[in-house]
Amino acid sequence: MTYLTPGDPSKRLKKIVGFILVLVGVFAIRLIDLQVIEADAINAKSYEKRAVTRVVPAVRGEILDVNGKVLAKTILRYDINAAPSKVGPVARKVSGQTVSIQVEQVAAEIAAILEITPQEVMQKIIGTGEYSQIKKRVNAAQYRKLVALNVPWLYYDPMAERVYPNGAVAGNILGFITQSGLMEGIEQEYDKCLAGVDGEESFEKGKDGIKIPSSVVTTRQAVAGKNVRLTIDSDLQYFAQQVMASTVSFLRADWGTATIIEVKTGRILAAAEAPSVDPNDPGKLSADDRRARIFQAAFEPGSTLKTITAATVVDTGMGSPTLKVYAPSAFLIPNSNGYRVTDSHAHGLEKLTMTGVLAESSNTGILNVGKVVDWKTRYDYLEKFGLGKRTALNFPGEGSGLLNSKDTWSNDGVKRYVSMFGQGVSVTPIQSAMMYQTIGNGGVRLNPILVDGCESNVNDFKNAPVKPGVQVISKGTSAQTLSMLERVVEAGPIGRYGAIPGYRIGAKTGTAQIRDENTGKYAGPYAISYFGIAPIDDPQYVVAVTAFKSRTVGSSLGVAKPFKRIMQQVLRAYRVPPSTTKTSDLPLNW
Amino acid sequence: MSAIRLTSPSRQLAPARAQLRSVSLANSRAASPRNKIVTMLTIGALGIAIANLVLHILTSTAVYELASLQQQARELNTTSQIIADEVDSLSSQQNLSNSAQKLGMIANSNPVFLSIGKQKVYGKPTAALDTDGRVARNLIANSVMTATSKDLKVPVAEVQAAPANVATQKAATAPVISNGGVIPASPTH
Repeated sequence: MTYLTPGDPSKRLKKIVGFILVLVGVFAIRLIDLQVIEADAINAKSYEKRAVTRVVPAVRGEILDVNGKVLAKTILRYDINAAPSKVGPVARKVSGQTVSIQVEQVAAEIAAILEITPQEVMQKIIGTGEYSQIKKRVNAAQYRKLVALNVPWLYYDPMAERVYPNGAVAGNILGFITQSGLMEGIEQEYDKCLAGVDGEESFEKGKDGIKIPSSVVTTRQAVAGKNVRLTIDSDLQYFAQQVMASTVSFLRADWGTATIIEVKTGRILAAAEAPSVDPNDPGKLSADDRRARIFQAAFEPGSTLKTITAATVVDTGMGSPTLKVYAPSAFLIPNSNGYRVTDSHAHGLEKLTMTGVLAESSNTGILNVGKVVDWKTRYDYLEKFGLGKRTALNFPGEGSGLLNSKDTWSNDGVKRYVSMFGQGVSVTPIQSAMMYQTIGNGGVRLNPILVDGCESNVNDFKNAPVKPGVQVISKGTSAQTLSMLERVVEAGPIGRYGAIPGYRIGAKTGTAQIRDENTGKYAGPYAISYFGIAPIDDPQYVVAVTAFKSRTVGSSLGVAKPFKRIMQQVLRAYRVPPSTTKTSDLPLNW
Repeated sequence: MSAIRLTSPSRQLAPARAQLRSVSLANSRAASPRNKIVTMLTIGALGIAIANLVLHILTSTAVYELASLQQQARELNTTSQIIADEVDSLSSQQNLSNSAQKLGMIANSNPVFLSIGKQKVYGKPTAALDTDGRVARNLIANSVMTATSKDLKVPVAEVQAAPANVATQKAATAPVISNGGVIPASPTH
């Protein structure tokens, strides 16, 4: 039998203490291992589990008009969502008493705020799911009204959205951004400037996934996008769009454009189109009508190109505004298998001056004017006037128009002739407008300017510098061409409808046949144009108006009045005093 | 032998007695400094715990205050956004055009300019005609225009008839202030 002996208590105590010390030692070593040696790795692992990193989107810059009016900006909109599984009556205090509001009534209240039917709301909130979107991108006023309903099963996601406060004003130029990120127009061209740089922040979340307050750490600061200022005057743009909208409607045309250029700088003051897209809701128009046709749509200009033919003859010294030519009823193009050119109306042999040819817009007359210059020289002039080449704007999708190569022309006698009155070549409305800018600017063709720059501070904007232009024709030729154009407005059968009392205006009309892409033949309805410069004694503005496929008016008469209204507005808006000098009074006949 | 047997336990007991010692109160009093330390440590720990609790409460209060301020900022941002939306709508060209049309405004297509430097009138003063000068109804789409001008007053033209012919009006007798020959521009666009 073994007896437990009490032994020496102090020894036992020592043993226990020793054991505890060893244990403490082990813990201490482990503690040092955890807290010092592996601390960083463990911290990192732990942070990874509870930290959430998210992108802080940079605020996109604004697009402004020349006067600083905001045409595009980014604001918060709200997606309205519901959790169908939690949908139920809503408790609400009425006159101090808590009453239960039935789901149907709540749905009706939501529908009234969101401007949809209660049935639509009910369809979205019935179910067992945790998520159902009732409506996307509602405005702040609607959001606040919804929040005030205090519906526990509704929740809201704030989303940044691009808005265009003036709707379709300059819509085709501004472009738009779809929710999938598709961009057009200035939004696309200046995306790098407008977009800014996204930031990044991280925060810690608790076991329930809720963000721990004060745990937000900004790891990378978001840099807001810069602003873009256009040369567009939005008030003038609106006026021109109003005129073109009513014009296109009246003419039952496919579309219409009005371009306003400042002659001495090449600045585009308005680039109005009808139809014009509302970038807030681009889906309302077809993809074709959403385009910026002023920069993208090329078509045969017709008689507005006669001005270039006349200027070429004058500049080469082969004729003057009083050059005497015959304008027969028909003109047979040599070596063309009988290709016959006629005027818009039957007439006998007319004796016209070069000025008279422009005033009457005679096809046969301009052929007799233009043929005095060899075709290669005329081709060079067309190139110098900017045909067949995109402008320096570099607008997205900008067209270059069509000017066939010299080789093509050398083998195509018809093209060499018909180009004198604007067939066989095609131009965009901006190219056409810049041709008239050249004539108004002493023969110097400038680059068109649409954007003044990209700045963070809107007060830093300055007008974009005007780059030296190309001297296309001499100053003297420019002055003589302007005098001829003035006579078109004074004495032309259609030109006179664009006259503005008190002002010396020069203009050229154009009624261009449109080639049917299927048959290759020219047919109506026509592309009608009226391009003008004012005032002739000190040219400052070009207004170029076109209606494509006019169906109710078959001549440029259909756009003469819209030109007049727009030019009047330009002269009034920019405080251009009426002319005080007299007209050149060039003869039209001989 | 027996005497030895008898004495032997007593010898054995003697050292046992020697091991016994009285526990004096003095000894327990000698342990009191340790107790003091323990007490101090306990009080210290409690103090730290209470301080921690107070700090935590204060921090929590600050967090609630921060959350409340953030909520307030969000509310104010929403208010600002609502007002900005309204201003954008009311100042949009579409609304202004419709308002001008409702008010019967007519743009004069014959502007007249005064050159103060040359003391000269440019253009022929003519009354605005209610033909092509009338401001047209808006035709340009704007899907974000949520507010429109309301309670527009009676057209100005009805309140005070425009002079039949501006040109026949007597010249102003007030002295003309020179503006260096520059035609003064309206501050509006």
